[in-house]
Amino acid sequence: MRTIVGLISGGADIGRTRVFWIGFGVVVLLFLLYPTQTSAFRVSNVSYYLLNIPLGLGMALLWGYCGVLSFGHVAYFGIAGYIYGVIAGNMSGNPFGPLAGVAGGLLASAFVAGIFGYFVFYARVQKWIIPILTLVLTLLLETFLGQTAGYQWRIGSVLLGGYNGMTGIPWFQLGGFVFEGYSFYYLCLLVVLACYFGLRMLVNSNFGQVIVAIREDELRTELFGYDIRARQWVVFVLSAMLAGLSGLLYVQWGNYITPSQVGLLQAALPVIWAAVGGTTSLLAVVISAFALNWVTYTLSAQGNQYAMVIIGSLLVVTMLFFPRGIVVMIAERLGRLTARRAAPSQLQP
Amino acid sequence: MDVAPLVLSLLYQFGTGAAFFFLAALGLVVILGMMNIINLAHGELMMIGAYTATITYHAGVPFWLSVILSFFVAAAFGAVLELLIVRRFYGRELGALVVTWGVSLVLGQGALLFFGPFLPSIGIPGGSFSYGDFSFSAYWLILVLISLLLILALWWLYNRTPYGLQAKATMQNAEMAKSLGVRTPQIYTLTFSLGAGLAGLSGALLAPTVTIAPFMGQQFVAPAFITVVVGGAANVIAGAVASSAVLAAVKTPIGMAFGSFSGTVALLFAALIIIRIMPNGISAALQKYFNRRAGGAMR
Repeated sequence: MRTIVGLISGGADIGRTRVFWIGFGVVVLLFLLYPTQTSAFRVSNVSYYLLNIPLGLGMALLWGYCGVLSFGHVAYFGIAGYIYGVIAGNMSGNPFGPLAGVAGGLLASAFVAGIFGYFVFYARVQKWIIPILTLVLTLLLETFLGQTAGYQWRIGSVLLGGYNGMTGIPWFQLGGFVFEGYSFYYLCLLVVLACYFGLRMLVNSNFGQVIVAIREDELRTELFGYDIRARQWVVFVLSAMLAGLSGLLYVQWGNYITPSQVGLLQAALPVIWAAVGGTTSLLAVVISAFALNWVTYTLSAQGNQYAMVIIGSLLVVTMLFFPRGIVVMIAERLGRLTARRAAPSQLQP
Repeated sequence: MDVAPLVLSLLYQFGTGAAFFFLAALGLVVILGMMNIINLAHGELMMIGAYTATITYHAGVPFWLSVILSFFVAAAFGAVLELLIVRRFYGRELGALVVTWGVSLVLGQGALLFFGPFLPSIGIPGGSFSYGDFSFSAYWLILVLISLLLILALWWLYNRTPYGLQAKATMQNAEMAKSLGVRTPQIYTLTFSLGAGLAGLSGALLAPTVTIAPFMGQQFVAPAFITVVVGGAANVIAGAVASSAVLAAVKTPIGMAFGSFSGTVALLFAALIIIRIMPNGISAALQKYFNRRAGGAMR
């Protein structure tokens, strides 16, 4: 127990003071109570903002902590979603079909990321090649899924559906209990909290310190005797599985998925969440992923065509003027304010 | 069946394929090779070129003139982009990638809002001719020729002009070039502007062969970036030429046998395998090979 607490409160993320943890607890409590105060429609929307967070966390881990940038993580989002649709759709009626779909989806994203990661990390390619090849991979996946219209493109009883996408994907269920509406909201909340605390422990562990060292200086870390290729590969696969987790929750939320989910515009979003939040903090990315999903979803629900222009400009402005991320910057300002008031003994060593 | 027309048709497919890869990647490789910056707004700069050509062409300007005009419009746009944004990201490769991606989102969506979902297309100029059972488009042959001319022009620019000399000096050692009186910021602006202009030129040249739409840049993203990745950054022009040829040699037979999507998938696999063997691209491998041979001769 003590090691878990130690790992969670280690130095690799913002928010380590008692005030912070009280605030964190209050926010979680508000999220727990939210469904009792509002309509089912709003709860469903908030589920959508929550379910994208693992994808953002995967980006933060890969880009912020390991220094590897991927523009194609939505590919793993899409792969997991489609595979879940195929497996759970074919096993409909079986109470454990969705569970098999979840396992299959996660394994499929890990498998594709594993093969891809082998080629790029074990070739020790230059830094700029990985984002480009991941982008190409996701564009190819979109093209492939787009041309799967028609009856010949079916797996078992499930149609892939071309640009119209796959529809009628089953809810998640465990045995006889189906997660929809409020229970799905709590499922998303649970997954987000588990991912966040799990990753916070990971980045504070020895492994996490080594991946940060790889980000800072690959050669030096290697000369200390660490196999940087294997560690980059592991982080890449792990972050692809986080993206896959978001994909699974997405298809369970909307019961459909279209190829545009792995298109260029979607591919930009996780990078934007991570950049705007601040890639070097998991919590900052959680906050910005939630907030930006809220903004884009609200804008596009109103039929606002400027959504992508606004989000794109936000990215440019962040990169120009707040290169460390807007949320991280605000957190540091707040931290400085409270530190000035508090006694010096409260400062972290 | 006669063999000559089939061979000619394969050659034609290969040549046009290589020309397409080369044109799609042209502006990108100039910027990458000189400034170590990956410009993800490349597709949108091609879109700007294509839009300029289309709009001026339909306003009555002759096609060739509108192509040249689109070079200058895209180049001006590139210069503004460099001065306002890209300038701050030298030496931060990943930052430059992300910020130019933001620019590309704004430009693509902006074009959609400003010009609507599509523009009337330009008919392919030049007509076609046939030989044996196959017919060939004269315009694509002209594009192959133009690609060859552009290679020559770039070679001339970088080896025979004061700009080329200063640009190569800046690329090799910016600090040293600066202390010898080269105005490196101007060289960077000029180079980025040249790359953007070439992207616009390619966009305009390819405009008659594609649909003119705000997100038309996306279809060039995959081929352009694969060409650059396979070519590598050691000697970008030679790398781009070699990798265009290799990729066309991969795509042409597979595309003919299994359809164009399989051809594109084969491209990604070819790129993954090539970078697995030659992590710094074909150009670095070639350079190593020639260096070794030169070293052997000296001994």
